[in-house]
Amino acid sequence: MHELNWGLLIVVYLFLGGLSAGLFFAAGLANYLEVDGQPAYPRIARMGALLAPWPVALGSALLILDLGNWYRFYKLFTHFRWESPMSIGSWLLTLFTVIAFVYAFAWLPEEWRRSLFAKVPATWKQVHRLNVDLAPHRKTLAMIGFPFSIGVGIYTGVLLGAVSARPFWNTNLVAQMFLFSALSSGAAALLLAMVLDKRNPIETHETKFLITLDIVFISLELFIILPYLIHGQLSVLAVKQALWLILGGPYTVVFWVFFLGLGLLTPLAIEVYELAPSLLKDRVFHGNRSLALAASSLVLVGGFLLRYIFVYAGQLSSFHKLGMLR
Amino acid sequence: MDIRKRRYALVIDSRKCINCKACVVACKAENGVPIGNFRNWITADRQGEYPKLRIDFEPEQCHHCEHPSCVRVCPTGASWQRKDGVVLVYADDCIGCRYCMVACPYDARYFHEESGTVHKCTLCSHRVDKGEVPACVETCPSKVRVFGDLEDPSSRLHELLATRRHHVKEPQTGNGPQLYYLL
Ligand code: SF4
Ligand code: SF4
Repeated sequence: MHELNWGLLIVVYLFLGGLSAGLFFAAGLANYLEVDGQPAYPRIARMGALLAPWPVALGSALLILDLGNWYRFYKLFTHFRWESPMSIGSWLLTLFTVIAFVYAFAWLPEEWRRSLFAKVPATWKQVHRLNVDLAPHRKTLAMIGFPFSIGVGIYTGVLLGAVSARPFWNTNLVAQMFLFSALSSGAAALLLAMVLDKRNPIETHETKFLITLDIVFISLELFIILPYLIHGQLSVLAVKQALWLILGGPYTVVFWVFFLGLGLLTPLAIEVYELAPSLLKDRVFHGNRSLALAASSLVLVGGFLLRYIFVYAGQLSSFHKLGMLR
Repeated sequence: MDIRKRRYALVIDSRKCINCKACVVACKAENGVPIGNFRNWITADRQGEYPKLRIDFEPEQCHHCEHPSCVRVCPTGASWQRKDGVVLVYADDCIGCRYCMVACPYDARYFHEESGTVHKCTLCSHRVDKGEVPACVETCPSKVRVFGDLEDPSSRLHELLATRRHHVKEPQTGNGPQLYYLL
């Protein structure tokens, strides 16, 4: 009876949830950095804040539609079960989405906010009361949002990691792996959005910041993936058998070539190639547009593939002697 | 009313199993299991080549675990465990997220397309509560399956477990499965 119960929609949902978490984190961080008392990266902070809520909102909508009975989704909130990661995660995700929307609202340019409220009928007084400028509270909002964004990043991993029946998932490394992958996707998505925004061309110091951030996150992710592989190989038989799925089994090529090679090491190499000369040899940082475009797109592909591999291979792993690939 | 504590379980003497699948058919008929889905099934483990050939048949189904991981992960509490150990799904609360299916180490659950909820072996609780035995147990022509109450020292199940060597499947899952296979 072994079959795949979770499909592509779950992959998309985990990816988009993590993406939002990463966008919020990078944007909030950019909001806090200052040079000589002036905000150092205000445009990054705005772009990230405005983008952050959308992926997770879309992902949650997709997930609800994927349920066997989507109209019963409210039961996720009326029946609180702290033992179930999905129950806790639903709350976490909802609160995070709300905070991300409020934070985006706080970053809306003055004229956007005015034209938005101009569309609301004047008689809806309660709605017009919401027409306040939250700009002075941006830092507080970001601070409130940080733990939630990290929580969501971790949750996407815990949802899988907490399943004791699937040895491929059930290690204490999956949560961190997904978190760092999420943060890296967020930084990459910001870089991609800034590069693609032709009206306000990205400046080199902004490229440099985002690339540096991404290098840090990718490196952290790499240092989780290596122990995951090594530790798994040295673990009990069920875990070893589960790892076979990416070490010779059906997901080997997509893991090593497409995820690790193209989605992780290649963008890391590009980013290091860009950044290293300015750090080590005191050269000027150029911030090549095409390279930034390539690296950021590859990181996003890699982030998606990581979820894809884990959701699919994980469901095939089993304690059953005959279970795997039956 | 009888308020004695109960703990239902199954003993399976798989060496007697001849793979006739009468239990599978009986279950499908009793519980209206859709085509393509199963609440119980027989695995065939084949070893060697003819003429030195051996095939072991083993009936499989939900193990009505002591610590069911399906119940633990369910976000709404639709998956639940009765006091007598039977693990059930309360359909009205099931949102169809399939987390329990992913979390069951024995792959004992299936998605019921028509209702959008998850179904599984109920240990025929509707029959058991009337004092009958599950349909698969009643049907089995070679008496592979023995249903009973672990708390009842006079039961046949109790006697078998006391006198025959037995094992449970994949105890390392930590679920505490309650299907006892005689050796
Ligand atoms: S066998 Fe699976 S469905 Fe049955 S109680 Fe155990 S975990 Fe739940
Ligand atoms: S599919 Fe239904 S029974 Fe299973 S975990 Fe989800 S809500 Fe619970």
